[in-house]
Amino acid sequence: MIINHPLLGPRDAAEFVYLGDACLIDRPDWQAEDAAGKFHEYGYLRDNPAGLHQELWYHEQGDRSWLVVTRDTLTHAISKVELARDVARARGRGS
Amino acid sequence: MSDYHLISAPPLALYDQSFEGVSLIAPADFAVVSIALPLGGEAAALKAIKSAFGKALPDVGKSVLSKSVRLVRMSLDQGFVIFSHATPDAESFVAKKLKDAAYTTDQTDVWTGLILSGPKARTVLERICPIDLHGQAFAVNDTARTTMEHLGTLIIRTGDDEFLLMSASSSAHSFLHAIEISIRNIA
Amino acid sequence: MTQANRLKGGQIDRDTTLNFTFNGRNMQGHPGDTLASALLANGQRLVGRSFKYHRPRGILTAGSEEPNALVQLRTGAHLEPNTRATMAELYDGLTATSQNHRGSLEFDLMAVADLLSPFLSAGFYYKTFMWPKSFWEKVYEPAIRKSAGLGSLSMLEDPDIYDKGFLHCDLLIIGAGPAGLSAALTAGRAGARVILADEDFATGGRLNAETMDVDGMAGADWAAQVVAELNTMDNVHLMTRTTVYGAYDHGIYGALERCTDHLATSGGKPRQILWRIYSRRAVLAAGATERPIAFGNNDRPGIMLAGAVRTYVNRFGVTPGHELAVFTNNDDGWRSAADLAAKGVSVKAIIDTRDAPAVMDVPGARHIRNAAVVNTVGRKGLRSITLTDDQVIDVDCLAVSGGWSPNLHLTCHQRGRPVWDEGLCAFVPGRDLPPGMAVAGAANGAMTLATALSEGRDMANAQIKELGFKASRKAAPKAEDEPQECAAFWHVRQSKSRAWLDLQNDVTVKDVKQSYREGFRSVEHLKRYTTLGMATDQGKTANIPALAIMAECTGKSIPETGTTIFRPPYTPIPLGALGGRARGKDFRPTRLTPSHEWAKNNGATFVEVGNWLRAQWFARPGEQGWRDSVDREVVMTRRSVGICDVTTLGKIDIQGRDAAEFLNKVYANAFGKLAVGKVRYGLMLREDGICYDDGTAARLSDNHFVMTTTTANAVLVFRRLEFARQCLWPDMDVHLISTTDGWAQFAVAGPNARNLLRKIVDANHDISNEAFPFMACGEISVCGGTPARLFRISFSGELAYEVAVPARYGNAMMGVLMQAGKEFDAVPYGTEALGVMRIEKGHAAGNELNGQTTALNLGLGGMVSKKKDSIGSILSERPEMNREDAIRLVGFQPVNKADKLTAGAHFINRGDAANMANDQGWMTSVAYSPNLGHSIGLGFIKQGHTRKGEIVRAVSPIHGTEVEVEIVPAHFIDPEGERLRV
Repeated sequence: MIINHPLLGPRDAAEFVYLGDACLIDRPDWQAEDAAGKFHEYGYLRDNPAGLHQELWYHEQGDRSWLVVTRDTLTHAISKVELARDVARARGRGS
Repeated sequence: MSDYHLISAPPLALYDQSFEGVSLIAPADFAVVSIALPLGGEAAALKAIKSAFGKALPDVGKSVLSKSVRLVRMSLDQGFVIFSHATPDAESFVAKKLKDAAYTTDQTDVWTGLILSGPKARTVLERICPIDLHGQAFAVNDTARTTMEHLGTLIIRTGDDEFLLMSASSSAHSFLHAIEISIRNIA
Repeated sequence: MTQANRLKGGQIDRDTTLNFTFNGRNMQGHPGDTLASALLANGQRLVGRSFKYHRPRGILTAGSEEPNALVQLRTGAHLEPNTRATMAELYDGLTATSQNHRGSLEFDLMAVADLLSPFLSAGFYYKTFMWPKSFWEKVYEPAIRKSAGLGSLSMLEDPDIYDKGFLHCDLLIIGAGPAGLSAALTAGRAGARVILADEDFATGGRLNAETMDVDGMAGADWAAQVVAELNTMDNVHLMTRTTVYGAYDHGIYGALERCTDHLATSGGKPRQILWRIYSRRAVLAAGATERPIAFGNNDRPGIMLAGAVRTYVNRFGVTPGHELAVFTNNDDGWRSAADLAAKGVSVKAIIDTRDAPAVMDVPGARHIRNAAVVNTVGRKGLRSITLTDDQVIDVDCLAVSGGWSPNLHLTCHQRGRPVWDEGLCAFVPGRDLPPGMAVAGAANGAMTLATALSEGRDMANAQIKELGFKASRKAAPKAEDEPQECAAFWHVRQSKSRAWLDLQNDVTVKDVKQSYREGFRSVEHLKRYTTLGMATDQGKTANIPALAIMAECTGKSIPETGTTIFRPPYTPIPLGALGGRARGKDFRPTRLTPSHEWAKNNGATFVEVGNWLRAQWFARPGEQGWRDSVDREVVMTRRSVGICDVTTLGKIDIQGRDAAEFLNKVYANAFGKLAVGKVRYGLMLREDGICYDDGTAARLSDNHFVMTTTTANAVLVFRRLEFARQCLWPDMDVHLISTTDGWAQFAVAGPNARNLLRKIVDANHDISNEAFPFMACGEISVCGGTPARLFRISFSGELAYEVAVPARYGNAMMGVLMQAGKEFDAVPYGTEALGVMRIEKGHAAGNELNGQTTALNLGLGGMVSKKKDSIGSILSERPEMNREDAIRLVGFQPVNKADKLTAGAHFINRGDAANMANDQGWMTSVAYSPNLGHSIGLGFIKQGHTRKGEIVRAVSPIHGTEVEVEIVPAHFIDPEGERLRV
């Protein structure tokens, strides 16, 4: 597979490490009511879509950036690659 | 004065070999210092880098040579300064120039450097390097961090037929072996 | 034997004669020959025995689709079985032998299997060897393996070397036949970076095998002229002897280049190279494969595909026989016949299944229309054929053409489905091609030369245009459209004898019909039940005829019946090539500690720890075994001072305004208030509350920490920290960089540790207990100005430091420490002594942090701060993980001090049966403590913290041991920790 890194261009997937669903960015608030339930969901519950999937890849043998890759699980076609840091900020994880 | 003295012995010190079509040299006094750009202080840090070295830190994947100092952009918030420096104070040498505008870490002993040059350099690298090194795709001063024979490697094109390769110092001998085998294996 | 079957012409170099042997017989051939063409030139029709029935077999094809002519090449350790003679390039001194027979090839003792064939039909093994069950492994399977199968291995290590590599291009063109050459010319002239790969050693494909003109010159000459032009282009990389075997995601193709297989020796260079080709676009121009027709005894040596006979005659100047007949259902069979006749080969008859007039004039040949071959005679070589009207024709070679199937294999590698083309009687590529791929020429069903040439050009133009290159306006090379009508005809129904479909796996028409009768009617079931198409040739010549017969049985059309799709590799890839250079020591890199040289010169035995080589112990003369050395190292360290290279622990430099807050997030315990100049033990949890890793963090300045990790988790912790930094807290000012390899770090442990260090630490640094107490850290200098870092931390439980110098000084530093330590009888110690001392001290390590245990289990529950947000803190509070009877880490000692403890033993209460229901926990780490004089252990046991003094049994059914042990505190040595603080 090839991942088209937003800064570096197309790079072999062998340079990357896969983590999983990009919902791992959405770590719950530790002080929330029902934090235990929310962390349980965060830790264990995943969708398993046949189709588009947003997932986290780490460019370990590269610039060390975490990426959010939108990949079709049926075809492996990759339609979007973003810096996870940008995604995290867009999802309100910034300060 | 101490009764004891420590002798410096980098793993591939003095390595210098010529083969048909390529030569492979471990540069002496090879020093590397990383620069991290503080969050929110990027502009100041970049300015400090420019005034310290006379050239701006380039974009990710690029490097620039300013006199004998090479500035490499490793990632959005990190750069490397690669230069020749014999004593084990490369980090403070760079830190002083930057006047606290960025975070610095000595990387000299983390890495081992090898310069592969000659008309067959690209052919040698074809066996271990997944990056497209064609002149149109990887021009002089372009850099990439990748993996060669399972070893993380920073490759910098320093000339039409010359590449600086950097890999972890602990596995320096395996890295050298991988390149030597590639040299042997090309037709 | 002279080359009795040589004709004039052909692309061989007659000025040079190559000697080779087949089954010990000396034969001759010429450069340009394959082993197959040379065997045929020497009149050798019988070349092997079949897989299951040991039927005599010859050469069917002239290409990589060959199912039959599998031979062993070379001798000794270089021996390679199952090589297709049609792909083996002849060289001087080649040694080839036939395979799969006992006794000689001519009189195979196993040929009795053929007589038993009525019993050996499809599903025979499934049905027969069911009972008794125990017989399968010991009796049936070995016997079947011995009688079936193909060649045998040398059982010696492969002396050849292999390599891998990476190539990049704008356009990959697969196949250098007319379509591929036309495409390469177009894209090459436009300036695109082109790789043109062909499995053959000659370029030109069918142009070499046929006699058609291109642009007014002989096809082969045109091909040579194109290649000459391509060779002048820097942007075109022509790769012969290179099979593109797989189409992978995102334009990545796998290719095998056979570099030295055509040479007598490899000359120290790689025999084969496995290339990973990154392409932006690709054109598949892999041509087409001719199909056989199934009829009685159609597997005899001398029965060949018509196009193959044409290839041998035209390209190699060899005739496979002297009196031939052609059996065809299509026009191309006629073209083959005409070519043979033109070369002076006697074609006695053309048997056409169609009731149609002659396609062309073939001098000397009788046209027998609306007829078929029902049977043949000639066990070790064809003698005659019998037609549907019972007439017998004496021939020694029958050229069969059942039409052509596009080589669309690579179009299926990403689950593309071919579609049926009624006119061609063949599957052609569907629309669901791998992204970036186009198909041109015969591979695309463009069967005539003219269309192949123009499609090659057009597809290349379309592909490079998408990449921004200017398409060529130059017209495609010109050629004629040859006749190519075909009428579906798959097998001769009138045949009573066995009619073969899959020659490599010995599958017949009858087997397919039986598969249908027994309910295995889908293509996938058919394949698995009969093994059709499952041999190394993947059924290239067999699948479609078999499918057609299944369609006949079911009364459905062929597309309704389905098609099998293909997987990589297109042709077999040697395991040696897949391994590349990653053999033996080169399997993975080795990391050396900075003091490796010193250790090597001082009696170290090394142990692999991940990629690291670490000193395990340092044997001294007279020591009887490793325990002697380890016991001595432990005792001498605790008595005076010992030194250990601990560089392998991960080191991460952490800087930034939010560095302290960041550590608060990633460690379970608090770091915010750690003073500058201090170190703290840190425990990392996974988000699920399980312990992940432990280490220390030293605060060098307000914004600067150095974290250590365990050796095993160095890379993984770094990855997690980057995740936390970028994905969870993206607006923290924190920066990470690994410095593991940068600092040579040594543990200096024992009561004399400070006395030793005082000798090398520069005088301006006060390391007295008052100025530099337990858990202090600082940047110092040693040996007259060499920068260093000093940490007062202890894994052994002794007064101890870790001192770090830039790695380049590491080897010298070890020597200096030993030299300075001479007066204290300092010892170097290895990982074993390190392990013994940490068990004596009750420190948890990998055996305890095993991915199943919590801070509570480890007795570190109090460390998990509830006052702050950190990874894992919330889920660590789950009730199940905090049960009253949760396991706790404690120490164990044998009741009988002479007993040896076993790691992995489970604890069972006295009087209980040793089963899982009574399981109380398990022993994680054991060691012999030379200080206590007996075996000790660490382990987890339910409510261990409340059970001190209790005696339980440590049972290990695997080792067959059971030892009574007493539960004791985990700190066997200095439980109050006084030694640390002196």
